Amino acid sequence: MSNRLKWKMLSVLFSCVMLISGCVEKKQLEKLGLSTAVGYDLEKENHIRGTVVIHKFDPLAKNLTEIITVEANTSKTLRQKQNLETDQKLVSGQLRCVIYSKELAERGIVQLVDALDRDPTIGNTVYLTVTDGKASTIMNMDKENQKIDLGTYLYNLIKQNVESEQLILPTLFEFNHRYNDHGKDPVLPILKLKNGNVILSGVALFQDDRAVAELKGDNIFYLKILSDKFKSGTHEMGFDRSKFKKLIMNQEGNAFRTVYKKLYLNIDNIRSHTKIKLVDKKNLRFKVAIKIQSRLLEATEPLDLAKPANIEYIEKVVGKEMEKEIKKLLIYFQKNKVDPIGIGNEYIAHNRGKMLTKKEWRDKYKDVKFDVHVQNTIVKSGVID
Amino acid sequence: MKVNLHPKESLLFNAFQLIFIIHSVQVGVGVVGLPKIVFLEAKHDAWIAVFFAGVLTSVILWFIIMMLRQYDSADLYGIHVDVFGKWLGNLLSFGYMIYLTACFFVIFMNYTEIVQVWIFPNLPTWQLAFILILLAVYAVHGGIRVIVGVSFLSVMGTLWIILVLFVPLRYADFTHIFPIMNVDIKHMLKGIQRTSLSIMGFELIMFVYPFVKEKHRTLLYVQIGNLFTTFTYTLVTFISIVFFAEDGLRKVIWPVISMLKIVRLPNLERFEFIAVSFWMLVILPNLCLYLWASSKGFSRIIKRTQKMGIWIIAIVAFGASFFIKARYQMNIVTDLIAKAGFYAAFCYPVVLSIIVYLKKWLLRRKKSHVKST
Repeated sequence: MSNRLKWKMLSVLFSCVMLISGCVEKKQLEKLGLSTAVGYDLEKENHIRGTVVIHKFDPLAKNLTEIITVEANTSKTLRQKQNLETDQKLVSGQLRCVIYSKELAERGIVQLVDALDRDPTIGNTVYLTVTDGKASTIMNMDKENQKIDLGTYLYNLIKQNVESEQLILPTLFEFNHRYNDHGKDPVLPILKLKNGNVILSGVALFQDDRAVAELKGDNIFYLKILSDKFKSGTHEMGFDRSKFKKLIMNQEGNAFRTVYKKLYLNIDNIRSHTKIKLVDKKNLRFKVAIKIQSRLLEATEPLDLAKPANIEYIEKVVGKEMEKEIKKLLIYFQKNKVDPIGIGNEYIAHNRGKMLTKKEWRDKYKDVKFDVHVQNTIVKSGVID
Repeated sequence: MKVNLHPKESLLFNAFQLIFIIHSVQVGVGVVGLPKIVFLEAKHDAWIAVFFAGVLTSVILWFIIMMLRQYDSADLYGIHVDVFGKWLGNLLSFGYMIYLTACFFVIFMNYTEIVQVWIFPNLPTWQLAFILILLAVYAVHGGIRVIVGVSFLSVMGTLWIILVLFVPLRYADFTHIFPIMNVDIKHMLKGIQRTSLSIMGFELIMFVYPFVKEKHRTLLYVQIGNLFTTFTYTLVTFISIVFFAEDGLRKVIWPVISMLKIVRLPNLERFEFIAVSFWMLVILPNLCLYLWASSKGFSRIIKRTQKMGIWIIAIVAFGASFFIKARYQMNIVTDLIAKAGFYAAFCYPVVLSIIVYLKKWLLRRKKSHVKST
């Protein structure tokens, strides 16, 4: 190609790029309202109420967040209506957290989740949550004194707890994955208002897209152990004192009064490994083998930990107790017809032939039997004996 | 028309560059949707189907190279004339040209659609189509060596995306791939067929062959290129299967981009925007090579300049872009091209090479017959 033609082509191309790039929609940060949290309530039949927390970039405004509540039938109409009530264009690229009221979650939220999923501007790592009461009350709390906007607060609240392994990751992706899997059900954290602050009070167990049960406190620890590899989390267990009679140290001279009627041990999980195996296809018998390496953090009575036999004894007792609790939890799941651990996936993976549908698995699930084996090793017991 | 094409020495390129040509022309818009399309047929064994499709491609490449070796330095246009005569041969060549143009069309249209869905919903189709076509025209004007350079840059510039694909593995559920080999043969074969849109492109070796410098080493480098593609595709499909749930993979349109949504860098929340933009670099050699191969027909069949061919094809493709308005129309066209590609790239070269073999064999027998008598 001649040199002149080359330059001509280049200049044509260059001018095209310059001109056409002007056609793209402009998005100036000062003119945008970034919605960071969205809440949905069931208002009445066929009507949802949407609340949105907007983060603003306006150097003159004192309060950087704005909260708007409107009603509509679909989530996108909500956004349109919300747009009517603000001077800035609402965009959802920075959405961090979505809150569904319990009422709504009990009816099913998949259509609302689907709307999030369909929108390419919304990220995959948005957190989904359920609230005990109404989403709008959580979002409207303490409007004036808020230092950071609620979306970021909730995001940090959940992120911090996921990272310290108290929670199962509640992202949009994880919800979708679990919802779409034939042998697994979603789990989302529950938010609650406490003393004017939002806290995490437990997790909601979903059957398909409906919240049917709730887990609190200790059981979340077990759920976490069962569902994946797990590296932290403390757990407290109460025992009859008679069981530990031999181990309790004789306090010579020092008076020791017991505060509690029971003996409490606090165990810190260092790492655990769970294997769920289908051992009997016909009778649907699963073996749940859990290996835990733990650390004794606290005991409400002085125990003699110098002797290896004593440690072994504690290991055994704690293991037995965990077995009992886990079995109870698994039966609780079965009774509520939820499968947050993914036992169905394990079953489907070992079953040749036609794939099970979600409903077929649910019918089978109630007949599943579990053998729980916990192998507990106390690897450390702190800096003193 | 001469059967053999003897380009000037300065137009030839080294045989090892075929690795980049074959790989870059195979990987294009198809791979973004590949896992889903194959999954619909072969279920969770899709990755095996994709792997087999790669093996099948390698066999077909062997057929093609064996056919090309029967000639000194011929391309498909020349072979057509040699085997079928002037009229029928040129007719077949013309048909192949239409197929190549259609591929060119489908590639930039699909990419435009991805950009519209993911980044700029308000962008009119013709604007992006215009830029892409102009870019391809510009590159093809530079000749085959420039196109080889483009494909080299494209492969090297986008190689790192494979590494990013390992991030979704952190969220994987490996129970999804079990039980392995659970689907029946029929669905497996259908899965292999469905891979055709993504894996085709290798048929262009029939057009670039005269321009290769060391012709005896073609087979090796072509196979390496295809091996690399097979590996990439199997990996992508495998990761998609463990990353998405069964019903989830069925729902998404572009699983690879949806998968990259999970990637988060400290300063960049949404990695898929980068991926979609970079995809232009992936499809550019596709556009160039298809445009080049089909415009080559103008100089080979009707003795006009190739440059005229480039502009005619570009204008026709640009005009056609106005006829497609919705996603379902694009789907129909893409499916059509995928089917055509299955016959044009997978079946036809094998049939043609068998015919060429028979013909050469008959000619040789006749010759020896004449000699002996």
